[in-house]
Amino acid sequence: MQDLAFVIAGWGVIIGGLAAYAVLLLKRLSLARRVSIGIRQQAESAPPPDRPA
Amino acid sequence: MTRILGLVALIAVVAASANALFVVPADVNQGDAQRIMYVHVPSAWLAYLSFGVTALAGIGYLWRRDLRFDAIAVAGAEIGVMFTAFAIWGGMMWGRPVWGVFWQWEDPRLTTTALLLALYLGYLLFRRLTDDPHRRAARAAVVGLIAAVDIPIVHFSVEWWRGLHQTPTIGSPDKVLNPSAPGLFVIALVSMVAAFTLAWAWLMMRRYQLARIEWQIEEHGRLGRITAARRAAMAALPPADGAKEGA
Repeated sequence: MQDLAFVIAGWGVIIGGLAAYAVLLLKRLSLARRVSIGIRQQAESAPPPDRPA
Repeated sequence: MTRILGLVALIAVVAASANALFVVPADVNQGDAQRIMYVHVPSAWLAYLSFGVTALAGIGYLWRRDLRFDAIAVAGAEIGVMFTAFAIWGGMMWGRPVWGVFWQWEDPRLTTTALLLALYLGYLLFRRLTDDPHRRAARAAVVGLIAAVDIPIVHFSVEWWRGLHQTPTIGSPDKVLNPSAPGLFVIALVSMVAAFTLAWAWLMMRRYQLARIEWQIEEHGRLGRITAARRAAMAALPPADGAKEGA
């Protein structure tokens, strides 16, 4: 293969970047879902809010 | 549904990449460096598509004032920035062996693409200026629409001005049915575009889901701050009349 270094660098960064972004996105989504579930559970177990005077 | 799409996209990207890297012959003039086009062109196409979606979602928000449109807009902008960076990187890796340079500021396609990247990076930073989701969505929609003006300029720059970058090989209307490249190359390129577009659709769905959840978390945080501020204000009030008389 000619210009192998450029082909590897071009493909490697793009395919690797795409895969890395996908993995990172799934991690962010999983973390956000956990936080969201925590908030919902907290809201369900919390005492009723203060009534206005 | 999203999982099936993700799996199909993964298989498509692997199969199309194997074809483009190991099955399709090297170009007679450019050698193997031409194989970089199989990832550069889909990246550029998806950058256009993403920013186009951001602009349309911005119009949708301004029209309907529905935050779901804003979630689509931010998904398009973030993914578009990534694909623009990929397109620039792929172009540089191809440009060095074929043109002899990684970059040339005098080239209109290169310069307007760099501007596109800067505009949408600015869009993403601009979104962080305010916590109010509706104010942020409205301002971002306007910025997204202004930035979208650069999309046709990037695309037609190779026809409007002279530069290093060649005119479209298959992307212009007169070349869709009569491309100036051999059939095998066109099939490999179209397969990569299709595979990348499937991956893009999956990423967009996931990023949209994330934006919706982030908005809910943010809203909870805002409500929490408002409640805390209200409690603090009530605690700072002077005691009621009954309390004074009793003292």
